[in-house]
Amino acid sequence: MCPFLPQGGGGTRILHVKYFQRRVFAIRPQERLPPANPLMLIYFTRRILQSVFTLLVISMILYGLISSVPGGFMSAYTERADFTPEDLARIRAKFGLDDPIPVRYAKWLVSMLQGDMGSSFTTKRPVMEEIADRLPNTLLLMGLMMVCTLLVAIPLGILSAVKQYTWFDHIATTAAFAGQSLPVFWFGLLLIIVFAVTLKGGDGRPLLPGSGMYTLGEPFSLWDRIRHLILPVSMLTFVSAAEYMRYLRSSMLDVIHEDYVRTARAKGLRENLVIYKHALRNAIIPLVTLIALDLPALFGGALFTETIFAWPGIGRLYFTAALKTDYPLVMAILMIESALIIGSSLLVDFLYATLDPRIRLS
Amino acid sequence: MRHLKIALTLLFVAAFALAACSGPAATQPASGATEPAAVTEAPVVDPNAPVSGGTIIIGTPQEPGMMNTLLTSSSIEDAVTSLFDEGLVSVNEKGEYVPVLAKELPTVSEDGLVVTWKLKEGVKWSDGSDFTCDDVKFTMDGALSDLSQVSASGYRDIETLECPDPYTVVATFGEVYAPYLRLFAYTIPDTAGPLEEMETWDINRNPVGTGPFILSEWVPGDHLTFTKNPYYREEGKPYLDSIIIKILPSREVGMQLLGTGEIDALWDLTEADFPALQGMAADGVTFVSTVTGENELLAFNFGNNDGSAPADPSTNPHPILYDLKVREAIQYAIDKQMIVDTLLYGNVKAGNSAVPVGTFGCPQPASEFNLGKANALLDEAGWKMGADGIREKDGMRLSLKIATTTGNQLREQTEQVLAEMLKQAGIELVIENVPSDVLFASWESDGMRDHGTFDIVMYTTGPGTDPDSHLYSSYHSSQIPTAENEGTGANFARYINADVDAWLDEAATITDTAQRKDLYCKVVEQINKDIPRLFLYERLSIMGHRADFHGLKISPTFVDFAWDAANWWTSKK
Repeated sequence: MCPFLPQGGGGTRILHVKYFQRRVFAIRPQERLPPANPLMLIYFTRRILQSVFTLLVISMILYGLISSVPGGFMSAYTERADFTPEDLARIRAKFGLDDPIPVRYAKWLVSMLQGDMGSSFTTKRPVMEEIADRLPNTLLLMGLMMVCTLLVAIPLGILSAVKQYTWFDHIATTAAFAGQSLPVFWFGLLLIIVFAVTLKGGDGRPLLPGSGMYTLGEPFSLWDRIRHLILPVSMLTFVSAAEYMRYLRSSMLDVIHEDYVRTARAKGLRENLVIYKHALRNAIIPLVTLIALDLPALFGGALFTETIFAWPGIGRLYFTAALKTDYPLVMAILMIESALIIGSSLLVDFLYATLDPRIRLS
Repeated sequence: MRHLKIALTLLFVAAFALAACSGPAATQPASGATEPAAVTEAPVVDPNAPVSGGTIIIGTPQEPGMMNTLLTSSSIEDAVTSLFDEGLVSVNEKGEYVPVLAKELPTVSEDGLVVTWKLKEGVKWSDGSDFTCDDVKFTMDGALSDLSQVSASGYRDIETLECPDPYTVVATFGEVYAPYLRLFAYTIPDTAGPLEEMETWDINRNPVGTGPFILSEWVPGDHLTFTKNPYYREEGKPYLDSIIIKILPSREVGMQLLGTGEIDALWDLTEADFPALQGMAADGVTFVSTVTGENELLAFNFGNNDGSAPADPSTNPHPILYDLKVREAIQYAIDKQMIVDTLLYGNVKAGNSAVPVGTFGCPQPASEFNLGKANALLDEAGWKMGADGIREKDGMRLSLKIATTTGNQLREQTEQVLAEMLKQAGIELVIENVPSDVLFASWESDGMRDHGTFDIVMYTTGPGTDPDSHLYSSYHSSQIPTAENEGTGANFARYINADVDAWLDEAATITDTAQRKDLYCKVVEQINKDIPRLFLYERLSIMGHRADFHGLKISPTFVDFAWDAANWWTSKK
């Protein structure tokens, strides 16, 4: 039993939240931490071991699947008339493709555990360098997307819930459905055709650039960078804000009908205060979980968006590596992404366990 | 909430700062782009005379990853490296061999065993060192090394390579190597480093070449900038100051950017892009195309398609296609010209020869479209018209499966037209397409062509500049993929003809071009009689470009699209 939580059904939801805030945000270094709880330790150890095992299984499945894709790396050479069987045998041997898949996996795993993720088949550079080259671009795109998404989704979600079944709610909900259902590859091309081809700016050039991160041959300018960001970020925001908005709307609707909100109203509090101070604070907690679980995407980038808009990020790196069946690079990106996803869900679990004793006891 | 905001803001700022650092080298001068513009301001007498200066942006949907020809793995890499990497001999836009770093085409001794190249004198690498016979020797050693990813055929047969003087290369072969002209189509400087460290050579990313351009900036995933090679041997050339290779998301986006002028040329278009290209003529877009010698073709399976992969199809023949009359009937039933006119807008020629163009080209008369003859042949072969309009024999319907790569609209349309045409002769064509990786899979990956688990496959192939290896691997009986030879060869039809074998064997032992051509032409004629493959139309290399980008002449080998880059120029203001 956790000694510092009110026992029994004493804590209403609002008490809970206030308590969390104090625990998580108001802790001071000099404050003496409570003695380690054995149950908690067991729970954490078990979850960590589970995660490591899951990662191992994931790596096995991924490696098996990727290596079994027909064609494979050698298909770049087998279709060429001037390549003799001797040439093909030499190249296969060079890349270690002669070994059966389990042996290749074992070799890959051993070097991976030693911290060596190998070198790209096509560029011969260490895959970590390849990834490091692209990471800032992806972080920029996805970070901006995340900020814009929250800026759009939170107000819309709240308003939609507060004004449930009004014309505003209907429009916002329909737009959110559209955002979730639109195929990104189609929507992206549509944006390009409209804004980068059909519509022209004052100088007769296309209104917005349709691809890349900056205008070639021109010195760096912030405005140029922003112009290149507008289309991909808008598209990503439209799609992911839809999800967040719908999530917040339903969680807001739940909370608005809670007793303590009615109590707050009964106390005569102003409606704004009720909504933003009492209701929102509780409604937003599930959203924070969602954000935490989405954080790995900051690394992985957006495959379709980066590919359509020629954004030189991780998503596009992965796409081209997959096309060329560059096994080491593909595996490295997938494994880092898997590790981040598992890591972030582990983090969420730990936070929940720390915050809510019912979870670690079950 | 507040903490979250701060965290996200920090993240955003950090990401932005990082991205800004890794962006284009902002301080790098645009290599005098403005300077030559001033020169072109002078009154131009002849608008067709090349002018110096300017930058050309060439778009490509593929991304090069390697600048060392010995380690390339995709056609875009071969294409881009041709901006700086030159061979002793190259191929011009007509498919003919032309000397580049050699003074003239190599000479060959009476017995065909000794080949001698005379090198141009005074050629320098882009690092200022001299190009000599030692570099040629090093190139050969590189191709033969265990780490090399290029074909070693030809080099493998060289017993000794000697340098009597710095500008003479003498290769002595153990046995005659007929396509010797295609050797040394690239060169690697002998200063590159030890062969066993090839994977980490500096020139892999900072190439050194003798060509007109050198790589000056490479932003992975975005673009590569090439600027003038200061040591280029021709005075006043190249005309262009720089060439930027821009990585694009797709051909479709590339076409849009070509229309708006964001790029000046688009690499690797296909026949399916003709309507779009012609539609953009008003926007200042035009294109160059050249025949590649490749054909879009149908390969028929002589063997049973049950996966037994017989070395001799007569032991387990295909119940329908092994009969020559059926193959002839199919040929008579196909109106190739109609496919060319309707699906390809008349921009290509109907296919009729396995080697249609080039030094060894043997154009053949067009095959006849004659439905009457098709029906007569099938009647003769015992295929009786059934109630549903499909012929039958001994309870078997005349139904064939055709497979090609999925997602290729032009090919899918062609299949539908073919099915309609064959139906007129009472032949049912069932379309069962597969992804290209499956269609082209190797023997080990259970490739359907290798194992003969198909009736008809449709794809593109061709002889390249020298038909030796293509004709041999496609039509020689030793090149039928079987379990015994571990799937060697591309004779997917399982075609066996003793004459063809003999002619191909003989052609491989002589170096005289005229004699070789005679033999290859005999093979080509015999193929058209036996129809293991049916040629539909000739494929083209196509590049779309802006009308103010001049001098672009692509060679049929295509990967050498920059073979004449020194003479490219732009009248763009």
